[in-house]
Amino acid sequence: MNLATVRLGVRPRLSGRGGFLALVLVYALLVAACLGTLAREGELSLGRSPIANLMKTAGEFARPSLLDVWFGNPALEYRSDDGTLLRVENRQAVERAWLEGLGRATWTTIRIATLGSLLGALLALPLAVLTARNLAAPRALAWGAKAVLDTSRSIHTLVFGLVLVGIVGLGPTAGILAIGLHSMGTYGKLFAEAIESLDMAAIEAVRSVGAGPAQVFFNAVWPTVLPQFVSSHLYIWEFNIRDSTILGLIGAGGLGLLITEATALFQWGRLATVLIVIVVMVSGFDAISRRIRQALA
Amino acid sequence: MSACIDLYDVRCTLAGRTVLDIERLVVGEGERVAIVGHNGAGKSTLLRVLSGFTRPTAGQVSVLGLRLDASLPPARLRALRCEAGQVLQGLHLVPRLSALENVLIGSLGRVTGWRSWVRRYPAHEVERARAALATVGMLDQASMRTDGLSGGERQKVAIARMLVQAPRLILADEPTAALDPAAAQVICRVLGMAVAGKTLVSVVHNTTLLPLLAERVIGLRKGRIAFDLPQSQVDTRQLAALYGGPSVPVRDRVDEHFKRRQHTCLHPDASAGRSPCH
Repeated sequence: MNLATVRLGVRPRLSGRGGFLALVLVYALLVAACLGTLAREGELSLGRSPIANLMKTAGEFARPSLLDVWFGNPALEYRSDDGTLLRVENRQAVERAWLEGLGRATWTTIRIATLGSLLGALLALPLAVLTARNLAAPRALAWGAKAVLDTSRSIHTLVFGLVLVGIVGLGPTAGILAIGLHSMGTYGKLFAEAIESLDMAAIEAVRSVGAGPAQVFFNAVWPTVLPQFVSSHLYIWEFNIRDSTILGLIGAGGLGLLITEATALFQWGRLATVLIVIVVMVSGFDAISRRIRQALA
Repeated sequence: MSACIDLYDVRCTLAGRTVLDIERLVVGEGERVAIVGHNGAGKSTLLRVLSGFTRPTAGQVSVLGLRLDASLPPARLRALRCEAGQVLQGLHLVPRLSALENVLIGSLGRVTGWRSWVRRYPAHEVERARAALATVGMLDQASMRTDGLSGGERQKVAIARMLVQAPRLILADEPTAALDPAAAQVICRVLGMAVAGKTLVSVVHNTTLLPLLAERVIGLRKGRIAFDLPQSQVDTRQLAALYGGPSVPVRDRVDEHFKRRQHTCLHPDASAGRSPCH
C-alpha cells in the first residue's frame, strides 16, 4: 500500500487541538505569502519620511479647523518671497463660512440617507412579501423577486452611485437612488425574515372567522411584523447615514465632497472637523435608534 | 332535527398513515358533542376537516348544508367559516393586538373593506365586543395586549371572539388545554353559556369536564369511531379502554410499563429498532 492510498483512506479531521493547530498553520502560511509577495514587489514601503509626515499630519489633526472660528488669526497676512504684502485674510470669517458649508453638507447627507432608506424600504416591501416562503407566492414571482434583492444587495452603494451619477447627473438625487437601490436588498432580506418568523397561529385565528386575504394581512400579518419592520428600518437607516457620508466622494452630494476636498488640499484640520461632525452625527443617531428599537420590542 | 354535520366514508391519509377513517358521522342542529381519545387519535384532524383547513383524502363532508370538496370556491368556504366558529387552543390570538381588537376579529365576516384593514370597527361592533368581554369577565383587561395575558385569560378572549362572531356551529379544540382544573371549570362554564342553543363540537382531554360540555360523547381511536354514546352512559371503563387498551386497573399497567422500561433500558442493544425508552 503506497502513501497516496493511505492518505485518501484517512478522512481529514479538523476537530480537536491538532486540527486547530493545522488551521492556524494554514492561516500563518497565507499571511506569510501575502507579506512575502508584497515585499518582493517592493510595495511594502512606508514612504520617504513617514515619521515626519505622521507628526505633521497628527499635529494638524490635533487642531481642527473648527477652533479657528474663535482662535483664528483675524488678520493673516500673505506675503510673496520678497516680502510684499499680497492680501490679508480674516481666518475666523473664512472658517465660519466653511463651517456653514459643512452644516449644509451634513444636512444633505442626512437627507440622502433618510430619503434613500425610505425609498429602499418601499421598494423592498412588495419584493419581501413575494419572497417570504410562508406566504407562498407563485414560484416564478418569488424567484424573480429574490434575484432582484440578491443583485441589489451584492452591488455596493458606491458602484450604484457611480452609475447613477452618469445617468441623473451630479448631486443628491444620485445619492438617494444609490442608497435606495442598495439598501433595498438588505431591507428585503430582513422584511422577508420578519414575515417568515410570523406566528402562523395568529394567521389561522383570523382565517378561522372567515376573513379574506386582505383582512388576514391587515389583522394578523401587519400588526405582528410592523414593529420588526420599524426596527429594521431604523437599523438600516442608521447604517445608511454612515454610508452616505462617503457618497460625496463620487459627486453624489453631502459630506463626502468636503472629505475629498480636504484630503486633496492636505487640509487635515478641516478633515478633522468633518470627522468630528460624522462621529457626533452617527453616534447620536445610533443612540436614538437604539432607544426606539428597545421601546418597540 | 336537521343535520349540521354529515361525514360519509371520510378518510385522511398523511404521509402514508391513515389519521382519520370515519364511515358515518351525523351531528344534528343544536347537539353538543364531545370528542375524546388519546393523542394522535385524529381528534384535531376531525375538527380541521370540519372547518375546511384540512381536506380529506377521500369521502364526503358536509357542514351546515355545504359540501366541502375541491370545487368549493374560497369565498363560499370563508362564508362557511363565518358561520362555523372555532375556539382553538389559547395561542390562536394575534399576540400584539389588544384583547378588544382580538375579539373584534370575530366581526370580520360582517365588517368588510377598508374599515377591516385599518381596524376602524363600527361603534356597534365595538359595543358588542365589549359586551362579549364583559360576559367572559375580561372587560378590565380589554386594552391589554394578549401576549401579556395568562393562558386562562387568553382562552376567555378566544371565547369572547367567538361570541362576537355569533356562529351557528362551534368547533372547540381542547378549550381547556394548559389550564389548571379550576380555570378549566370556569372556561367550560363560560363556553357552555356562550353556546346555548347552538351546535358544539369540542375536543376534550379532561374527561371530568364532559358533563359540562356535551350530551353525546364520541370516542376516537386510531382515527376510527370507537364508541358514540350519550354522555350519561359513558363511564370510566369505556374511557380506560379508549385511552389504555385492555381495561386493566391503572396500578397494574404502571407496574407493567415500569418493568418493561427497566428491561429495555438495561439492554440498550436489545432495544435498538424498538421504540426508545421515555
